[in-house]
Amino acid sequence: MEDVRMIAAWTTPGREQTTAGEEGFMRLYEATSRPLWGYLQHASGRPDAADDLLQETYCKFLLSKAPAMDEAQTRSYLFRIATNLLHNRFRSREDAALEEPAECGAETDEAARLDVRAAMWRLKPRERELLWLAYVEGMSHAEIAAATGLGVMSIRILLYRARRKASGILRPQRTKS
Amino acid sequence: MKLLGCEQEAGVIRAMQTGGWTEFLRLHVADCQDCSEALRLAEALRQEARRAERSCNPPDPYWILQRSRRMAREIAVRRMTLLLASMRALAAFYVVAAAGWLLRGYAALQFREAVSSISGASTWFALMGAMVAAVCVAAGLWPILHEDATRGKAGSVR
Repeated sequence: MEDVRMIAAWTTPGREQTTAGEEGFMRLYEATSRPLWGYLQHASGRPDAADDLLQETYCKFLLSKAPAMDEAQTRSYLFRIATNLLHNRFRSREDAALEEPAECGAETDEAARLDVRAAMWRLKPRERELLWLAYVEGMSHAEIAAATGLGVMSIRILLYRARRKASGILRPQRTKS
Repeated sequence: MKLLGCEQEAGVIRAMQTGGWTEFLRLHVADCQDCSEALRLAEALRQEARRAERSCNPPDPYWILQRSRRMAREIAVRRMTLLLASMRALAAFYVVAAAGWLLRGYAALQFREAVSSISGASTWFALMGAMVAAVCVAAGLWPILHEDATRGKAGSVR
């Protein structure tokens, strides 16, 4: 992906900032920022944390001097950076409120949405990440392994357990309603 | 129910995303508890994702570009500062070693003998060069160390 090289040149000090690099980044951002924000918001539970982490993810990406990558690899790479940043955040407990989901927006009265969000929040951060990458982003086990740094076999087992757990939490709630 | 889920699960999720349902997959989902469970969960999550995307207002990309450029400059400055600090440490070490060697008188005693035994003008020049270099490095180091000491004092006063 030529765009990635041009984008890297854009951030190298002393080098001329090229319009092509800037445009390449804008295109990449347009294509990836919303899914990435959704992932970060879902995994962290907070839109403000998702904003911060999104910015950090792209800054790290721009500073990483990434080699030439195709679109899928770039996407996977961005998710990997985002996942690492999420883990750092969870580890450092920088944001204590990350432990509880923050409600936002005008749609909080939707029972189904609350069901899913509440159910997801009862899962571990790693489980939420895996479910999102597999079922929302539609990543294969190999792609999830690349994004999370885990082995393909571990992904299969962890994803299965996470899915069973999430369904177990969702089922009684649905039955009640 | 299998130990690690159903082999068809990936195909079912892909079909849900692309809309490429085959008769086989439809029948399979109706029969397989794993796949129907995965499908239900995937649909719920994707609905949640669509809602999140609608309310999402990502930061201005131009601002991110500017920020990353500023960070790149800071990293470059940090690297240069580290290089300069190591050069300073090396210079200080060189001055101390050269001064120690000269002060112990070893060079003074052995100088003539060494020069006469090797009898090369190059040796004489090398020794003189080392001494001149030590003097130059010390002279260059003095204002830097002096400035550091002044800054250190000012910091401790504050």
